[in-house]
Parts: sequence; structure tokens; C-alpha cells
Amino acid sequence: MDIQSYIASGKLELFLLGELTEREREEVLALAKTYPEIQKELDELEEAMFSFDNLTGPTPSPKVKDKIFASLEADFRKDEPKKAPSVAPVETKVVKLSPWKNFAVAASLVALLASAAAIYFAGKYYDTDQKFTALLQDQQVMADNLNQVKLQYEETDNRLDRLVAGDFKRVEMKGEGFDIQKDAKVDVFWDQSAQEVFVAVNNLNSLSAEFDYQLWAIGKDGPVGIGLVNPGEKFTLQQMEAVAEAGVFAITIEPKGGSQSPTLEKLVVLGEVA
Amino acid sequence: MQEEQLIEGLRARDRKTTEYLYEKYSRALYAVIARILSDQDIAEEVFHDAFIKITKKIDSYEESKGRLYTWMANICRNSAIDKLRSKEISQSGKTNGIDDFVYGLESQSGTMEQVEGIGVRELITQLNEDQRFIIDHIYFKGYTHSEVSEEYDIPLGTVKSRVRAALQVLKKNLDRI
Repeated sequence: MDIQSYIASGKLELFLLGELTEREREEVLALAKTYPEIQKELDELEEAMFSFDNLTGPTPSPKVKDKIFASLEADFRKDEPKKAPSVAPVETKVVKLSPWKNFAVAASLVALLASAAAIYFAGKYYDTDQKFTALLQDQQVMADNLNQVKLQYEETDNRLDRLVAGDFKRVEMKGEGFDIQKDAKVDVFWDQSAQEVFVAVNNLNSLSAEFDYQLWAIGKDGPVGIGLVNPGEKFTLQQMEAVAEAGVFAITIEPKGGSQSPTLEKLVVLGEVA
Repeated sequence: MQEEQLIEGLRARDRKTTEYLYEKYSRALYAVIARILSDQDIAEEVFHDAFIKITKKIDSYEESKGRLYTWMANICRNSAIDKLRSKEISQSGKTNGIDDFVYGLESQSGTMEQVEGIGVRELITQLNEDQRFIIDHIYFKGYTHSEVSEEYDIPLGTVKSRVRAALQVLKKNLDRI
């Protein structure tokens, strides 16, 4: 395009006078962006217009300025930056003192808030720590329980294996014929070849702390104490001492720890080997 | 102060920046108004309103649509033209023109204005008749170029090229003021 004739057309002057339509304005702006000569001419013309306006006009009277700034007063940002405190020492003091106080107050407030936060979080931490310790303890107890259960299971499994694999006889001991506990019932499992004996409590009253139930295997050589029976462990197999020969199994109540020979008056249950 | 800073400061409603704007541009902007409105009180009233308008409308000013001075000068020019055509002025029957303006400048008491007034007169004498006519109508009587074209039956293209020619003369002779 012919830039010089575009410039010569007078469109740029009308642009500056604000007399172009919106479409024409866009055209001038786009061309000025594309052609530096047009932008340069625009800049120079604007500068000339400003100079002409600036040099030829009368100065508006001072009262206009006062009125304008009075009108604008409400619009101005209120937090104008304060002048650097290097003017007069008296002024410096005044300017410096009040922010110092503000800072002190602000700092105290921050310190107070920080302390409150610290106490709060310390409390929180203590609580959490306690909860954590409690949880650890719980977890330890559960782990212990689990170990115990595991051991019991292994033991039981082991006994079951032996029970199934071995050649066990079941000997039912009952309390019907005696005075102490009519409904007492304890089973003996005996593998004669392996000489292994287990008891399983079905129903047996608990005893006071100073007494124990004692199991006797009674054969040709008379009764032999083969272990103490725990009445609390129901329906589990309690392993007793080895027995090679017996015709009858019986349980008596003996002083704690058991006796050398059974106290026959305190016979609880008895069962004959079939 | 760079134009960007100036605009930024105005948008932030900073008093110092607004004062700077006033110091730098008030005379030129007032001139745009005062050469159209001969009555000083009316011109100052319009200038007051236009300046307030500039500071309030600065947020809608788009840098990409032209330079700051052009934008401000257009606000002032349009305010002055609006006032000129309002009932208030029309009824008073006052007309203005280069001669009134120059006379007004020269009759002001200040020495500076007198010297400058003479400068303006000298500047005006550099224009030929056609150019003077155009400047008189567009700059001092508040005509738009299409109004000049219509009212005096001059082709639009001719008005445009005369505006350009007249401004070229002013531009070349500015240093003589």
C-alpha cells in the first residue's frame, strides 16, 4: 500500500482529533502497528498538537486547580507513602515513634498468638502422644494374645495330630457314684503303646486356691499320680504323665500341688478302662 | 515520569501522580477548551468537569487505542463542543474564533501570556487563507471536519487534506512560539 498517500490523506490528524468512526480508528491503529512510518507520523503529530495546545493556551486560574483537587479528595488513596524521615529531626521522631509503637503492639500480638498456638499444639501433641502410646500398648497386648493363641493352636494341632495318628482309648470318668459332684464328667484319652495320656474336662467344679484336682492311674502297683487337672480348661486336651499300665483312672481333690497317694474320701470321678 | 507510570499512578488514585498530570497537561487541555469556549468561567467549569472525568475514566482508557494525551484532549474537546451546543451558550449568541482567542490572550494581564499570545498570532499568520479557515473552524469554533464540509460545501477529502496541511504548518513553526 502507498503509505505516503495514506499519511497525506489527513486521516491521522482526524484520528488525533477524535473524529474518526470506530472502524476507521481500528484501521489506523492496525496500520500504525504494521507500518513504523505511520506510527512515527502519529507520534510526531500528537507531539505537535500537544505543543501547540500547551504553548498557545492561557493557564487555568489557580482556583480551578483547588476546586478540582477538592472534588477529587475523596477519590485519592488514603494510604499515601509517608515521606522519608530525613527532613527534620523533630519530624523524624514523630514519624518514627508511632510506627515503632505499632510494631511493638503488633509484635506482642504475634508473640501472644504464637504462644497460644504453641500451647495449643503442645497439648495436642501430648494428647496424641498418649493416644499413640495407648495404641502401642494395645497393639502389644494383641500381639501377645495372638502369640498365645498361636502357641495354643500349634499345641492343639500337635495333640490332635497325635490323637488322630495314635491309638487312643477313650475312658469316661463320671461322678455319679460319689458325693462330691454327681454330674462331674472328665474324659481320659490313653495311648497304651505310646504311653501318652490326655484329659479333657467336660464338667468339673472349680476349686478354692488351696486345692487341686489330681489324676490317678490305678494298675497292679496301686494308684500313681500322673498330673494335676485344671477344671477351667474345658474341652481341651491336657497332657498328663506317661502311663504304661492302668485298669482304672480316677480324680481326687488333693491339697495344692498334689499328693503321693490319693485321698479316697475325696474321690470325684472314676472310669474303668474297657 | 513515563506514560506507563503515569497511567498506573492515576489508576491507583495516587494524589502525587494526579498532581503531576495536572502540572504537565492542564495548560494544554485547558487550551483545547478555552479556544472553543470564549467565556472564561464557562471554560474553567468545563475544564474542571473534564479533568475529573479523565481521572475517573482512566480505568477504561486503553493504551492500545492511542496515546494518553490524545485521549485526554478528545475528552476535553468533546466536552467543550457539547457545552458550546448546549442551550446555555447558544442563547447567549456568543461566537468564538482565532481572532477572539488571540485578542483574549493579548488582553490578559500577565506578561507571559502577552508574549505567547503574540507568538500564536505569528504562528497563525503562517497559514494561508484556506488553512486558517480550517483551523479557525475546527480548533476554535468546535466544528467537526464533516460539519465544515457540509456547511461550506467543501469536499470531505479537501477538508481532510487542508487539516493536514494546516497542522503541518503549525508543526513546522512551533519552535517560533
